Amino acid sequence: MSEPVSFTFNGAVVKCEQGQSIAAAVINTGTLTLRTTRFGEEPRSIFCGIGICFDCVVVIDGVANQRSCLIAAKPGMKVESSS
Amino acid sequence: MIIVIGAGPAGLAAAEAAARNGSDVALIDSASRLGGQYWRHRSTVTGFHSNRADELFAKVRSAQSITYISEASVWSIEREGELIRVNYLQGGAESSLTAEKLILATGAYDRSLPFPGWDQPGSMTPGAAQALLKGHGVLAGQKVVVAGTGPFLLPVATGLAQAGANVVGLYEAHSPLRWLLSPKALLLNISKFGELIYYARLLRQYSLTPQFGRVVSRFDQGRVTISRVNSSFALKDMKSENVEADVVAVGWGFLPDLTLGGIAGCKQRVDSDGTAVFAVDANQLSSQPNIWIAGEGTGIGGADLSLLEGEIAGLVASGQNVSSRLRRKRGAKQVFADALKRSYPIGDGWRSWSQKSTTICRCEEVTLGDIEESVVELGAEDSRTAKLFTRAGMGLCQGRVCSRNVAEIVAGLTKCSVTDEECVASSNRPIAAPIALGLLGDGKK
Repeated sequence: MSEPVSFTFNGAVVKCEQGQSIAAAVINTGTLTLRTTRFGEEPRSIFCGIGICFDCVVVIDGVANQRSCLIAAKPGMKVESSS
Repeated sequence: MIIVIGAGPAGLAAAEAAARNGSDVALIDSASRLGGQYWRHRSTVTGFHSNRADELFAKVRSAQSITYISEASVWSIEREGELIRVNYLQGGAESSLTAEKLILATGAYDRSLPFPGWDQPGSMTPGAAQALLKGHGVLAGQKVVVAGTGPFLLPVATGLAQAGANVVGLYEAHSPLRWLLSPKALLLNISKFGELIYYARLLRQYSLTPQFGRVVSRFDQGRVTISRVNSSFALKDMKSENVEADVVAVGWGFLPDLTLGGIAGCKQRVDSDGTAVFAVDANQLSSQPNIWIAGEGTGIGGADLSLLEGEIAGLVASGQNVSSRLRRKRGAKQVFADALKRSYPIGDGWRSWSQKSTTICRCEEVTLGDIEESVVELGAEDSRTAKLFTRAGMGLCQGRVCSRNVAEIVAGLTKCSVTDEECVASSNRPIAAPIALGLLGDGKK
């Protein structure tokens, strides 16, 4: 087995396998909500799961609007909900 | 050289056929592994007839003349004289490739219909539940409802059950008797019964009983409302039942991803199910010289048809003739694809599931009430005007999820039907993937 990956999501440490997407890793911890919306502040999670819908966007190391369903978790990443 | 975009069944078959006939191939895909959405996997492909995937993977991997470029998002395509340039992003940097010929096999994504609560966490497409499980080994939830229409619900429901989820309900909106409308398709595709038996066995093994003529009409904090519908998806009666689930995976067939072919100027047509698809000739050639299109982009038809279309595109692009046997096989699968559209049509009754407060455009948080206001109060007469008033379809996904639904809602309000021009226009996007201006500025050609 390869080394587990450790990153933070809104400050909390998340551990996952190499190659797992950020969304998959967070959902695997039992947390579905990845962000809240700009206007209604409604919670959102993954929806299409394949990079089409942009519902799962998060801020990764300060870069906004990254699709967490597509991007593999890397050690030390700082992931935050978009808004 | 031939560039193939997309490494699902169609793209793999195209790359393999082209390489087998002496062409150099660059196979570009956005994922980290071969297989596309349908053959998504971590270590091995599972499901019905998955050995086909392994054979094709092995051939593509071992072919010296195929260069596989993974985790690359193509964001634009341009012509340079006789050549075609494909620009893509990989690992945060911009690169490009040129070739004489291009085969597009960019696949499809789940079609979604709005209902109260479809924007809550836990509501997702069957494709999302499948991608989490097959691609990442993660169950979307412990108690899952699978619903919508079409045969794809079967692998999703049985796959989740095999992985240990409690599938508390499997709801198909249509009656299976609709298949009786397509006797020729069934006779020409007897092998499909093997697939049906495969899934029937799995359903029995996990005590899953599909219920027909039912839809998820509401999802609220783990409470799922199941309602009966008629064949056009209008709610039948006020009777409904509630089940508890943390995930509802609801899908209404598929929409092809037309972005790249649209950028390349390939002509579109409206398919028998009202979906915008690419017009191709008997050799899978698009309206653009030296650009072939294979798979779901030419009309939703599933992996069997995609494999044959890909093989034909790969053969023709490498200057080979296509045997009449291969054309006949494709013909039989096309008859089956037409039967799928006849068996699982999307009735317009879905428009009555939403309330004024129901989100229609997820990106820009536009509700049904907002769209109604743009038509009734502001006088929007088509979906483009309604979009300009409300911003529906102008968010990050560029209308991939909602534009067809918005067009149908506006058509319902104005008592018109969606025109072919509207259908095609709403699928055109000038840039396929978000790209930072700084990267464009640094781009080296």
